[in-house]
Amino acid sequence: MQKRNYYIEIEDFLSDESFRNWILTKVDEHGWEEWTLENQQRAKMVENARLLLLAMKVPHNKISSSELTTALQSTWIKIEEKENSNNTTKHSPVKYLRQYWFGVAATLFFAFLSVWFYHDQFNLSHSVVTYKELIEDNNEGLVEQTNNSNKPQIITLSDGSSVLLQPNSKLSYPKIFTGNERKVYLSGEGFFEISKNPQKPFLVYANEIITKVVGTSFRVRAYSDQPNVEVLVRTGKVKVSSNELIGNSKKEIVLLPNEALRFLRKDLIFNKITNITEDKILVGSVGSIEQLSFEFTDIPVRKIFKTIEQAYLVEIDFPEDKLKDCYLTTSLSDQPLSEKLKIICKSIGNETSFEMNGNQIVITSEGCN
Amino acid sequence: MKTQILKIKTYDDHKLWNKLKAGDEKSFSLLFEKYYGDLINYGNSFSPFAEKVQDCVQDVFADIWLYRESLQEPDVVKAYLLSSVRKRIARLYERDHIFRKITTTDSIEFLLDFSVEHELIADEATAESVLYLNKLLNDLPARQKEALFLRYNQGLNIEQIAEMLDVNYQSASNLLHRGLLTLRKEWKGSFSILVLLSSGVF
Repeated sequence: MQKRNYYIEIEDFLSDESFRNWILTKVDEHGWEEWTLENQQRAKMVENARLLLLAMKVPHNKISSSELTTALQSTWIKIEEKENSNNTTKHSPVKYLRQYWFGVAATLFFAFLSVWFYHDQFNLSHSVVTYKELIEDNNEGLVEQTNNSNKPQIITLSDGSSVLLQPNSKLSYPKIFTGNERKVYLSGEGFFEISKNPQKPFLVYANEIITKVVGTSFRVRAYSDQPNVEVLVRTGKVKVSSNELIGNSKKEIVLLPNEALRFLRKDLIFNKITNITEDKILVGSVGSIEQLSFEFTDIPVRKIFKTIEQAYLVEIDFPEDKLKDCYLTTSLSDQPLSEKLKIICKSIGNETSFEMNGNQIVITSEGCN
Repeated sequence: MKTQILKIKTYDDHKLWNKLKAGDEKSFSLLFEKYYGDLINYGNSFSPFAEKVQDCVQDVFADIWLYRESLQEPDVVKAYLLSSVRKRIARLYERDHIFRKITTTDSIEFLLDFSVEHELIADEATAESVLYLNKLLNDLPARQKEALFLRYNQGLNIEQIAEMLDVNYQSASNLLHRGLLTLRKEWKGSFSILVLLSSGVF
């Protein structure tokens, strides 16, 4: 500790953190004052060092915590952008299309004829989790969209996933998905089509349950005033678990296409339904989007656009003349809206692109190849 | 005691760094929050364009995240960050003509002026000598000033400073030494009297 006894230059003092603290913050942890007074020579040197330190202040503009948050957020956006520009150069369109054929098989699977009940009583005190609590729990700065109209509304998320939000429902989501997970919060009902990204699972928080996927389509019904939460899978694989807010017992239930799950909020019980056609309530709740087929074999582009318009309640504006002789064979079942459009545009030809603005979609094209 | 404090600090940074490398976002955010202000201040000392500086600092962090798997662990995280920011600004400066204020080709210039700790000065005599010192300091060549800043305001050691300024150890040490030497020479006459006058403070 007494290495300071050997200090002979101002520099020695300046580089001593404890000395700097004493001068600049007046925290004298190591008895500098007393030590200084021990001899005249020392006092002189200390004073010189002190004056120099006082003359060396660096203007330190304090950064407010909101500025810091904004900066951190825009850094994540930069990361996202850089990641995307790296990815797009890697994937060739051919590989892109081929990949999608795999998803088709899953969607064509139909029904096993059994219903079994899954009883799983949570041993911990149960409580009801609401949308509001979920949102308050999150501090990422979410965007909230509410559908007050009387028809479903399409929302496209930053990762390209689409959500068809039913009337009287709300969805909160980050403007840009950052980090290793994509989290959204639902109150009410929505049909989700998630763009594939195994590195970043997509999580829907709805009342007491969490639905986790990597890329698939499914419907979640979670109205705060109803006794049940339902998840219905159309394509891919979905994992549902309870939110840890209602207890520790972390049971995960896997759902495959055309399977569903009903969560009884009062009893905190998961009921798995393996044949949705036998469940009257679920059959009634299936929306038009699930009934429409997105398997197209040699179909005019015009008709494909029509199907999309019906499914997503959007309006598509496209050059009819130029595309009147264009036919496509493609499978779009497993794709969110923006992916569907991307694939169609790519298949039509290089000059074709689309622009999405709310529920208005404009296709620009010079005709097909 | 002093070394112990330092150890805890570096340990923390290294722990954050390693967790970040493993993909932990929380650690990334913590590191960002810890050093963003310092880096912005340092960056601003090279350029009057605050927005570009913010861009550079954020790019440094973005790259750390994106290339985290291939990054070597730095000896001192803070030194690494400061140096990355400096390099990035220098690169931008070379490329971007709008960004360039003076037409020297060499490198970016440290434009920061030291200021005076007015709140810590109680008497007039001290104020006078501190003001005088401050003027001397700010009249030093930019590189000497930067070396002093890195050494005494940012707590880097000579080796790290040498690496940052892209000179060898001896040159970095000279930069520091010459800076202080100039000050001392200028002081000499008037100074000892001032010291005697103000030594009553202790």
